[in-house]
Amino acid sequence: MTERGYLAARRNDDGGFGPVAGASSEAEATALVALAFDDAPARAWIMANQREDGSLGLKVGSVFRDVTPLGALALPPGPERERALDTLTGVVGRNGSDPAVAAFGWPWTKGAHGWTEPTAWGLLALRLLRPTAADRIDDALAVFRERECVRGGWNYGSRVTLGVELRPYVQTTALALLALGDAESDLSDRATTELERSWFGESEGLLSLATATCALRARGSREADAAASALRRSPHRDTGDTVTLAWVAFATDDSGPWSRP
Amino acid sequence: MTHERRHSRLSRREFIGRAAVATAALTGAAVIGTTIRRQATPDLWDAAAFPPPSEARVAVVPRTTYDGDLTRTISDGFKAIGAEFRGARVVLKPNCVEFDEGSVINTDPRVVAATVEAVRRMGAVSVAVAEGPGHRRDTAYVVGASGLLDLLGDVGASFTDLNTAPASRVRLRSRYTPLGELWIPDMLTQADIIVSLPKMKTHHWAGVTLSLKNCFGCLPGRVYGWPKNALHWVGIDNAIVDVAGAVRPSYALVDGIVAMEGNGPIDGTAKPAGVLVFGNDLVATDTVSASMMGVDPQQITYLREAARFLGQGDLERITQVGEAPQAYATSFALAPGTEHMVSEAGAF
Repeated sequence: MTERGYLAARRNDDGGFGPVAGASSEAEATALVALAFDDAPARAWIMANQREDGSLGLKVGSVFRDVTPLGALALPPGPERERALDTLTGVVGRNGSDPAVAAFGWPWTKGAHGWTEPTAWGLLALRLLRPTAADRIDDALAVFRERECVRGGWNYGSRVTLGVELRPYVQTTALALLALGDAESDLSDRATTELERSWFGESEGLLSLATATCALRARGSREADAAASALRRSPHRDTGDTVTLAWVAFATDDSGPWSRP
Repeated sequence: MTHERRHSRLSRREFIGRAAVATAALTGAAVIGTTIRRQATPDLWDAAAFPPPSEARVAVVPRTTYDGDLTRTISDGFKAIGAEFRGARVVLKPNCVEFDEGSVINTDPRVVAATVEAVRRMGAVSVAVAEGPGHRRDTAYVVGASGLLDLLGDVGASFTDLNTAPASRVRLRSRYTPLGELWIPDMLTQADIIVSLPKMKTHHWAGVTLSLKNCFGCLPGRVYGWPKNALHWVGIDNAIVDVAGAVRPSYALVDGIVAMEGNGPIDGTAKPAGVLVFGNDLVATDTVSASMMGVDPQQITYLREAARFLGQGDLERITQVGEAPQAYATSFALAPGTEHMVSEAGAF
């Protein structure tokens, strides 16, 4: 069965997708399905659940998990997308007093610190859909320069803690590479080398393997075919969560918003 | 049990100032709202939701190796504290926050697997293992590489990723943070018994991380992020109290066979402490464990506050069963910035 088949069985009655089968629809999972499969009902769910201010996400108590960049990428051209992009440009991660951290990026939740994955999605959305937002794009690039791990690549977003150099992760390095595109070639070159060195060691994780495949392919790496082959052989393809299945689809179909012209 | 404190404690204001500086110097994950609200505030928790704790029982069981019949040791420990699993649907929540080859970050998978078997033998109708790793989104990698998945397979137990599991809103009954409600996985709210199964570790912000702090891993990263930074921004001590008060595990089992000291909870070094600590009260379990680590529980802000309504934090009122904890106490090197939490009287 294909990823589309696995996912078809878990679509909710409202057209959206939960993070796993049986869960109620959530913005992130639904947006990724919309992107991975050009799925009209999922896109309709996104439009129906876009908030008044243009944002998309999940509000729980005082916490708002912001998925607006994914929403912008999933929405078709039009006022809904523009409202999402307007909101996105205004969401800024908050820094503490760490002198090593000057750039802001985007946070997982509104009002918190900026981190690798949400900053990657924010950068990708603006780079593709609103390249005129130069200040926010430059800020995101600065985040990746500041947070680059000592040996190249990125983890969740911390280079050094209490003097200890932290190592990069495959999944976050791959996502950052896809977001960077042709920008910051020195960073991307180092990250690609790191990814070529490390992807196999973390290939037990389907999400890591799928994201690595996408990034290695986008970078024209000699390791791309090996990663794609490992993904095809993976015994876990039917057990992933919705986000992981969407990534497997990106990798299998050689698709994804980063490959848009 | 006596527990003398021969040094002057930091004032709360001093503590907060130091903690904020230390935190800001780490990852830039600056903390706001670290001020634990004054205890005089009458509505910090709903009294009806937190009845006074019953007898707090803690058992310190010496164990220097993960080899041998760990299941029996764990059964004996649970029996010593009067744990009752008969007919219950049980969820075990280990600490599996990250994987780093050769490190002691996580609850040892052998302890987790042996606990599955012990709880089954004690009559549980189902036992599941669940965790929401806090640093990496790829849970399959963390639990696979750490060896946890293989060992759970050996004992026929399932693993659930709490970062993606179906979840629902739960209104907080305590108000140390402005969070108001939490997104908590349904398998936890539907379980009869949750067992918090942490690693005994130092923590560079909170001082120590034990069964209460372990509850952070119950909240899904898909809402709170990787790391779960939203919980840090409301003050890590505040968040520990509110989250533990919402998850409310029934029992704790602290893996201190080989613990972690220094720059915990990720980058510390192995500290063979040679104990498993069992408790039917998480506050009591963490109070005893911290004391055994040479940490003054009164200096652990979240522990001090949790002792007001979540459990028993007075060592004099904790019933020790089994071995005397003093016999197995050993001073841990604390993380930079938390040295003031050391008990000047030494471990116990």
